[in-house]
Amino acid sequence: MKPVAIARVNLVRFFRDRQAIFSVFLLPMLIVLLLGAMQGGASTPKLGFSVAEDDALTGELLGILDTVEGFEVIEVGDADSAVREVERGGLRAAVIVPAGYESTLRAGGDVEIRLMTRAGQEIQGISEVIGAAVTQQATLLRTARFAQQTGAGSFDDALAIAMMAQEALPPVEVVASIAGEPFVLAGLGQFDVYAQGMLVLFIFITTLNGAVTLVRSRQLGVSRRMYSTPTPIRTMLAGEALSRFTLAIIQGGFIFIGTWLIFGVTWGSPLGSILTILAFSLAATAAAMLLGALVSNEQQAGAISTALGLGLAALGGCMFPLAVFELLSDTVYRVAHVTPHAWALEAFQKLVAEDGGVGDIWGFLLVLVGYAAVLGVLAVWRLRRVLVR
Amino acid sequence: MTVASGEPVLECSGIRKSFGDHAAVKGVGFSIAHGETYGLLGPNGAGKTTTISMISGLLEPDAGEIRLAGEPMTPDSTHTKRLVGLVPQDLAIYPDLDATENLEFFGRLQGMKGAELDRRVAEVLEIIELTDRAGDRTEQYSGGMKRRLNIGVGLLHRPTLLILDEPTVGVDPQSRNAILDSVERLGEEGMAVLYTTHYMEEAERLCDRIGIVDQGELIAEGTQADLVRIVGQRDRLTLTATGSLAATAAALGELEVVDDAGVAGDEIVLIVDQAHDHLPRILEMAARTGSMVKSVDVDSADLESVFLKLTGRALRE
Ligand SMILES: Nc1ncnc2c1ncn2[C@@H]1O[C@H](COP(=O)(O)OP(=O)(O)OP(=O)(O)O)[C@@H](O)[C@H]1O
Ligand SMILES: [Mg+2]
Repeated sequence: MKPVAIARVNLVRFFRDRQAIFSVFLLPMLIVLLLGAMQGGASTPKLGFSVAEDDALTGELLGILDTVEGFEVIEVGDADSAVREVERGGLRAAVIVPAGYESTLRAGGDVEIRLMTRAGQEIQGISEVIGAAVTQQATLLRTARFAQQTGAGSFDDALAIAMMAQEALPPVEVVASIAGEPFVLAGLGQFDVYAQGMLVLFIFITTLNGAVTLVRSRQLGVSRRMYSTPTPIRTMLAGEALSRFTLAIIQGGFIFIGTWLIFGVTWGSPLGSILTILAFSLAATAAAMLLGALVSNEQQAGAISTALGLGLAALGGCMFPLAVFELLSDTVYRVAHVTPHAWALEAFQKLVAEDGGVGDIWGFLLVLVGYAAVLGVLAVWRLRRVLVR
Repeated sequence: MTVASGEPVLECSGIRKSFGDHAAVKGVGFSIAHGETYGLLGPNGAGKTTTISMISGLLEPDAGEIRLAGEPMTPDSTHTKRLVGLVPQDLAIYPDLDATENLEFFGRLQGMKGAELDRRVAEVLEIIELTDRAGDRTEQYSGGMKRRLNIGVGLLHRPTLLILDEPTVGVDPQSRNAILDSVERLGEEGMAVLYTTHYMEEAERLCDRIGIVDQGELIAEGTQADLVRIVGQRDRLTLTATGSLAATAAALGELEVVDDAGVAGDEIVLIVDQAHDHLPRILEMAARTGSMVKSVDVDSADLESVFLKLTGRALRE
């Protein structure tokens, strides 16, 4: 059980370092809180309003929404950018009015107004507000049309009559339909996106930082001393890897449970999440061992692990959702998948947005374990030679 | 751990090691008997640490053979490593753990556990006189205390061969004495010790036999008496001086009464037949060649003289 003895000592030493505890456990929670708060929470939610054609009726609809308390209405460009903004979290929801809104209604046809929200994040009563506003408009138009057809003079005369009569008329059912499209992030709440991204980002940075510990053991001469005892190098490596891995899952578990309890983050299938955390921690551990084998001093290890940790996280979609990458360009999306981060995030999103189970993510898990295997083999091969030099 | 009597604890022969094209150890061989304290005496860079690293299985020799209690030792000889307790020249302890934790950790790596480990940790803490401070992180220790713990870690599993690599370097005289005392005691208790140093007094005090190493070679070996015999009944004359010491040493070396002359810091060390008789002449020569002699010491021959005699250089720098 020598690997356990080695891992134990490393963990004891880690938990004596207050600064490390702060950056490993508290910092991720603070950042999730901060980003989540910026998103929603105290600030007024933003409602996007996208119109394909500026006609009088849409103008009027905008006017109605503007008067409703509880959110701020912002005009956005086309439907695509409205969708993207909702996904990114820039908007809490978006109302998308199709081209020919007024003319279709005037002609007596049905129009569909789409309301994009992220599930679990509906603005209370918004669909009712829009529904009511649209129904009101449609009712007026239908009444006018009916009046005109039954010979009440011109459409405009009829409309005038209808407006006088509207109080008395029952609302016409469903003109606005609400389309909460199951898009990649559609299932994610205010803190959810950040919790996933930060979990992955921090596990990787913390674990990679283990390279510093590895280099320090070498510099302290304790690695050599360990090797002078009846302890083969593979046991020493197993101990080091075990300590990195254990810390990664402790941290992952902390963020997982903490964000769930404190921020109400939805993680989807617990088993799936745990397996994803385990697989990703394994990949991060292997990366840390490799880095520890390649760098020659602590400063180098520290600087590279932070730079690499942030860089890969950004590239891998921890800071901007992968869905945004996908919209931007196929190449960016594909490049993102060079990082283990992207695969872990895909797995989490499958679990949350699509309510997936372990069966839906095993492919991603396999990729992560593959990363661990390849990086691990490289690290062991290198470390055997440098650890006790 | 006991060894069949008669069998040497350590036996090595023809060990060589080069770093790039620099030959650090060029065919060293010696053996250590059960209960014997063996000293490797040599100046900085002589190859002591390199030799020890090969003996303790940290470094693969380019050539030669090493056996501990009859078992071959290479870096892969995991099982054989239990016989050795290595005390590295540079401190190898965790600064953020206390003494007990350091000892327990390395004890576990030696395969010790449970009550046996606890008992032995307490014992070693007594030996290295750190019981009072056992619960403090070692980063708060003085240099001497760290050195003592460094030694304690090597002792923990009662190795058949304790290897101490310059354990007193950078230690105040009081701690140094304490360290030498405990090594002496361990030797008396029957532990075989391999002790490297570049202080001849330490070698003289502790070691049953001494090997003198210089530039990767074992240039002489034997008991202190054996070694001093190499120099004969000559005296060692030490001139503490200022001025052109090298020139003076060279000139003195030419005198027929001077066997060897070398410079060590602000001292000129000479091996002289009947030093007292020739002192006036030597001082005159020193003055003539540009050195101001401030003090003179005459000692009967010792290891310092042996080294000077064998290499033409002083042991200390
Ligand atoms: N890892 C290494 N790489 C290159 N050269 C080395 C290495 N280790 C030792 N040497 C060289 O080998 C020679 C012997 O070094 P070694 O450390 O064995 O000497 P030493 O007798 O222990 O000296 P000291 O008294 O200063 O500790 C020196 O010239 C040293 O520079
Ligand atoms: Mg040395």
